[in-house]
Amino acid sequence: MPGYLIRRLGQAVLVVAGVIVLTFAVMRLVPGDPAVAYAGPKATAAELAEARRRFGLDDPLPVQLWNYVRDLLGGDWGTSLHTRQPVRDDLFQAFPASLELVGAALIIALVAGIPLGIAAARYKGRLPDLSVRLSSMLAVSVPVFWLALALQTVFASGLGWFPVAGEYDASLDRTSPLHLYTNITAVDALITGNWPILTSTLSHLVLPALVIAAYPAGVVAQMTRAALIEESSRDHARLERALGFGETAVLTRFALRPALNPVLSLIALVFAYSIVNGFLVEAVFNWPGLGRYAADSIRSLDTPAIAGVTLLVAVLYVVANLAVDLLQGVVDPRVRAR
Amino acid sequence: MRWHKRLLAAGAVAAVTLTAAACAGGKVRGAEDSPQPGSTTAPAGGAADSTFVYVPNLDVVTDWDPASSYSNEIIAMQNIYESLTRYNPQTKKTEPRLASSWTSSPDGKKWTFTLREGAKFHTGKPVDAAAAKAAIERTMKEGQGAAYIWGAVDKIEAKDATTLEFTLKYPAPLDLISSAGYASYIYDTTAASGDLKKWFGEGHDAGSGPYTIESWQKGKETELTLTAFDGYWGGWNGPHYKKVAFRVTPELTTAWQLLQRGEVTFVQRLNAQLFGQAGGTDTVQTSQTPSFQNLLVLLNTADGPLKDVKLRQAVQKAIDYDGLVAALKGSGVAASGLVPEGLLGATPGMTPKQDLAGAEALLKEAGYGPGGKRLELTLTYAQGDADQELLVTLLSSALDKLGVKLSAKPLQWSTQWDQGKAKDPSKRQDIFVMYWFPDYADAYSWFVNVFHGEKDVQFNLSYLKDEAVDKQIDELPALTATDQAGAEKAYAGLQNTIISEKAAVAVPYVQNYQRAFAKTVQGYVDNPAYPNVVFVYDLKPGA
Repeated sequence: MPGYLIRRLGQAVLVVAGVIVLTFAVMRLVPGDPAVAYAGPKATAAELAEARRRFGLDDPLPVQLWNYVRDLLGGDWGTSLHTRQPVRDDLFQAFPASLELVGAALIIALVAGIPLGIAAARYKGRLPDLSVRLSSMLAVSVPVFWLALALQTVFASGLGWFPVAGEYDASLDRTSPLHLYTNITAVDALITGNWPILTSTLSHLVLPALVIAAYPAGVVAQMTRAALIEESSRDHARLERALGFGETAVLTRFALRPALNPVLSLIALVFAYSIVNGFLVEAVFNWPGLGRYAADSIRSLDTPAIAGVTLLVAVLYVVANLAVDLLQGVVDPRVRAR
Repeated sequence: MRWHKRLLAAGAVAAVTLTAAACAGGKVRGAEDSPQPGSTTAPAGGAADSTFVYVPNLDVVTDWDPASSYSNEIIAMQNIYESLTRYNPQTKKTEPRLASSWTSSPDGKKWTFTLREGAKFHTGKPVDAAAAKAAIERTMKEGQGAAYIWGAVDKIEAKDATTLEFTLKYPAPLDLISSAGYASYIYDTTAASGDLKKWFGEGHDAGSGPYTIESWQKGKETELTLTAFDGYWGGWNGPHYKKVAFRVTPELTTAWQLLQRGEVTFVQRLNAQLFGQAGGTDTVQTSQTPSFQNLLVLLNTADGPLKDVKLRQAVQKAIDYDGLVAALKGSGVAASGLVPEGLLGATPGMTPKQDLAGAEALLKEAGYGPGGKRLELTLTYAQGDADQELLVTLLSSALDKLGVKLSAKPLQWSTQWDQGKAKDPSKRQDIFVMYWFPDYADAYSWFVNVFHGEKDVQFNLSYLKDEAVDKQIDELPALTATDQAGAEKAYAGLQNTIISEKAAVAVPYVQNYQRAFAKTVQGYVDNPAYPNVVFVYDLKPGA
């Protein structure tokens, strides 16, 4: 196991290094001068020169790359040209909100997807199965932007059941100030017992989380169904049936556990995907997460911020992949031997 | 232990750790992040907490320092800080703000402002002549953002507590300069015990305006909340909004839904379709006001085929001005000359019209056009700007009919600008499309920046170099300061020279501000001298 762990960690470090080099190259190769973006459209020659000096844009490219890597390792992710704040601080503000949204979405996806998958497997080829397959296919293929607008128009703007946008009612900051520990609003509200902010956050979470949950819920339902059908055709299932267990009991008491292993591995990958998939949803619901930060950065050609978001998402993917590999290594010793 | 049990155990440990962290204390959102300067933040009069919720499309604050602030934060800064004067586009004159009156010497080189009595900074200190002098001098010394507006100032003297005297190096309209949207703020330079810039950057303010910062949470949806400054010189008698919240909403559809639901008061911008919907909604009112920002189609007067004035005039005549304004569906209005309405120098009767027959005749005279040599022109414009794209499409189609091929390239501003400034003239474009707006309400900005001869090209992207034009431009500040009727005449003459004779530019339209806001808001007037600013103190909250 230690050898496997070291090998996988080494590969992950190489991938992150590659992403850093690529991010740097893209930052420097895209048309547009970051100094102009920082100094503004009416900047004088002196102001542009100062901006170039400040960001080291006059140095040769290899020196700039070295400085970039050195600064990254030292925790300096650059300064946003748009917010004028350190990119790391901006990401630290935005990422927890995305984490909160995607976390809620994955809980919904698991809570909805697994029972649906079980139902589909239990009634294979019958109406419940067809309904689950059809709805999960729809959930996987519907564009999130469209779904977000549709749910917002019907359930928030039309029926008024949920708030239109935002993370929670901002006026609560005055009446029930929130103590921050994790920067994840719902978690901080829960552990400090701030019920007004918790309830407001949960009501604001419902619609965007449902939209993001659509894709993983569909995938989880389909995968659970497939894994259960495969598992329930094995010898041990035939034995369980012979012993008098009903079909539901065979699926839920004996087949579900082994069938869930690939599903849980999948969730780690879907998590990283959902962070990016949620960018458009964050824009529609004005969720103050990475998506909104990325959209603002792109609009203002804020290359350090764009690079920061790219790097963070890439690291998330690498970490998620690594976690899946390690998890599979723990569960299945054959993987470690490969 | 099975692996999922291990995971469960790890989760339980994490939960316990979080709870332990909770007991150990942490930051408070809306409190520690939210400075409350002095003891002046409580809403005055104990009146009901009426909040004006403003919806911008972009983050509000990029720079809190009133000396260097030069971006979106103007929408908040103009409610926190005050300048000596404020520009009124209806009268085309400046009005009292922190200065109650002012005079200038006949040569326009000495200006004396009398400050209003009783005004206080949010720090509790009085707004006197010495404080105003210190603020302007610090802004000049910092030299960032729009600080250049004070370039004419040679010396500032605080004659007594309320008398501030400026001596200028050359005549300039200092009352207009003092009304600028940026870099004209008067603030308490002694507000911080240490580094003032750093203190501002932490979200403190040292203004004298009706509102002061209550909370600032970068990156949050409600990024900024202002609260009434109890000691405001205007007082809080009568109905006023006591708080101003800025709720950042980039998605226009979402902004519209929030307004419809009554969750916000004012939406800075909607698209044409949503703006049309807003006009037909009972709970919402709309306003349209021409801005001070116009689109310039700059024609290369120095090199390439357009060096020939006939070809430049042909391009001017080929533009479908009316078609473009119609296609903009209200987001642009027809321009009359270079100077937008509401500014000294705006000249009626200069609205251009498309004239394809005239264009064809001019092309023919120059040896081009249908049956003649084929003319190829290059054009650059802003990538992602749908309105500019519309102009390019219409122009390209019109020129094509005249046998002129237009190669148009959408570029990021910095790339477009770099190409326009290229040292090698052969690398420059024939036509450069860009917006222009002044930093204070003075038409001089267009002429000195865009059409005055330059040693190194900055914004003179028509590359016009004409000594007679330069001389007339150089005389404008003195004329504006001393003889406004003469200035009007000079502006009209210059516009005629630059547009008709030199054909250095075509002005297709002026951008239009389209606002949507709650029906309950009373007294809203859009002031294009302060882009996107709502002077909330001037409004009355209705029922």
